[in-house]
Amino acid sequence: MIKATSVSKTYNNGKVEALKNVSVDIRNGEFAVILGASGSGKSTLMNMLSGLERPDCGKITVEGTDITELNEKQLTAFRRDNVGFVFQQYYLLPHLSVESNVKLGADIARNKNYMPIIDALGLCDKLRAKPSELSGGEQQRVCIARALAKNPKILFLDEPTGALDEKTGRAVLDCIMREKTRRGFTMIMVTHNRNIGETAQTVIEMNSGEIIDTHAVSRQKSAYEIGW
Amino acid sequence: MVISAKDGLKLVGISIVCFCAVFVCTFFLNFYLDVLPLESEVGEQSQAIYKAQLATAQMCCGVTGGVLSIIAAFLLAFYIKLYIDGHATTLGTLKALGYSERRLAVNFCIFALAVLIGCTLGFGLGHAFMPYIYEQLAIDGITVNITFRPWLIALLIVAPSARFAALALSVARVAPRRSAIALLRGGAESAKPSKPDVKSKNRPFLTEVAFKTVSANKLLAFFVTFSCFCFAAMVQMGIGMENLISDGTAMGWLILSIGIVLALTSAFMSMTALVRNNGKTIALMKTVGYPLAKRTAAVFLGFAPLAALGFAVGTVYQYVFLTLMVNIVFANVGEVPQYGFDVGALFITLAAFVASYTAIVALYTFKLNRTSVKSIMTET
Ligand SMILES: Nc1ncnc2c1ncn2[C@@H]1O[C@H](COP(=O)(O)OP(=O)(O)O)[C@@H](O)[C@H]1O
Ligand SMILES: [Mg+2]
Repeated sequence: MIKATSVSKTYNNGKVEALKNVSVDIRNGEFAVILGASGSGKSTLMNMLSGLERPDCGKITVEGTDITELNEKQLTAFRRDNVGFVFQQYYLLPHLSVESNVKLGADIARNKNYMPIIDALGLCDKLRAKPSELSGGEQQRVCIARALAKNPKILFLDEPTGALDEKTGRAVLDCIMREKTRRGFTMIMVTHNRNIGETAQTVIEMNSGEIIDTHAVSRQKSAYEIGW
Repeated sequence: MVISAKDGLKLVGISIVCFCAVFVCTFFLNFYLDVLPLESEVGEQSQAIYKAQLATAQMCCGVTGGVLSIIAAFLLAFYIKLYIDGHATTLGTLKALGYSERRLAVNFCIFALAVLIGCTLGFGLGHAFMPYIYEQLAIDGITVNITFRPWLIALLIVAPSARFAALALSVARVAPRRSAIALLRGGAESAKPSKPDVKSKNRPFLTEVAFKTVSANKLLAFFVTFSCFCFAAMVQMGIGMENLISDGTAMGWLILSIGIVLALTSAFMSMTALVRNNGKTIALMKTVGYPLAKRTAAVFLGFAPLAALGFAVGTVYQYVFLTLMVNIVFANVGEVPQYGFDVGALFITLAAFVASYTAIVALYTFKLNRTSVKSIMTET
């Protein structure tokens, strides 16, 4: 369980209030979407929950461990053992092949069995390709494979389809949801696309650094059922 | 592996400096050790030359080795910082994945590969040239046999490589002390908005371009200065030594040639990089209609003060070096030769310096202006 209590974060010496007194609860195995306009603080919240960044005040516990109390080294170890990331910009290592990029995730988690993941994401015929030789959708699938190769307990995705066109975006979203169903990890996805919220179990809506609404989705839709 | 071997090999500058250091040290050290037991065989009149040779070998080995390894160390630290700044996103991604700082730093040891290659080449070529040099340095017709000393491999190749690997590790350990997210953000906007420069408004356009070229190419600026330093220092030192230790010893010529090789290698290296970095600007200036002289000035002129600085520092350096050698080393030999600042040598060196560097600039001006606008615009 991930539990944030009264978390605040400011930038530029307090001039920008990115998060104001935010509290959320996310159950194990849940698929939550953080929804909101650009600049509403979604990425900031995600970065706090995943231990990429520290809040100014407030508490964040993951499975009972307060991650705001951890030092930099322990926080790195926490990320290593618990979380996977998928970013809008992919952040693949340009000089490494698809396989090596995925292996980067697998190695740090001591996972030798990463080929099935590459297979599941339909990247088998691209093993030797460099990121620059791939389409945006393929690059994002490599990024997902790299995150999944860590066998994460929680998968964080920040606008994973933000740079993709509709067709590719749907395919990538479908991949993500299939893997989620199969592996049952907790999943937190940031998006500004209201339709994508309909694929989740819970929608956490943000505006100006605050959570303005949290609601359960009555019927989860598939990537191909939603509008885009 | 995070850092590719190719990244490590980009550190040619370090390889060259290490090559020079080990090259010089290899034969001076070997020569010293080979000649040392021959004292009794050297005739009465040649004793002074013999002692002077020993002293010079010692001094050259120590000073060249010392100065060049300090330079190489600075270069290495500088490259690592450059690498980390240029690869902030990659490092941020890895930190986000959970790679620890220690684990990331270990990768930087590959940068010591450049040192290993430079040292190995220096050692190899040092040995290859040895027979010829020994012949030149022979006194009283005594043949000095070359002894191959395996332990010198440990001293001149293994030890420096290991030391530089350790240095790379410790520099890399402290450098990326930023959070994963700061690194990721830093990568996305790595080109920091430059501070508004009030002075630049008042500078004429060409001066501005020349100024920017130098400040954007700090590493090149260093190499240009280093090249001119080497030229000035080692050519004058060579001439000075030749005069000090007369009697046909080739020691002076040897130092002179090493200096010229060292200086020209770094000059050619930096010019190649400079032309590669500025081809686009020049092609654009050409389309806009700037004449050849102005285009050339924009690229090369900014380096002129640095060249002058390098030359001046080199001149002072060799004077101090020779004065020290005369007063400290030769004092032990018993026979202190007269030594004063050699103005003649300075002028000869200066003339040779101006001639060769003008020729290099002319050559690269030709290369630079051959690049067509189209060839640059169509490359990605
Ligand atoms: N590193 C930072 N420095 C300064 N301001 C920041 C930084 N990161 C985010 N912000 C600001 O915080 C607010 C929320 O940002 P973010 O969480 O990235 O929004 P979202 O992901 O919802 O688009 C924005 O106003 C943004 O400008
Ligand atoms: Mg965002």
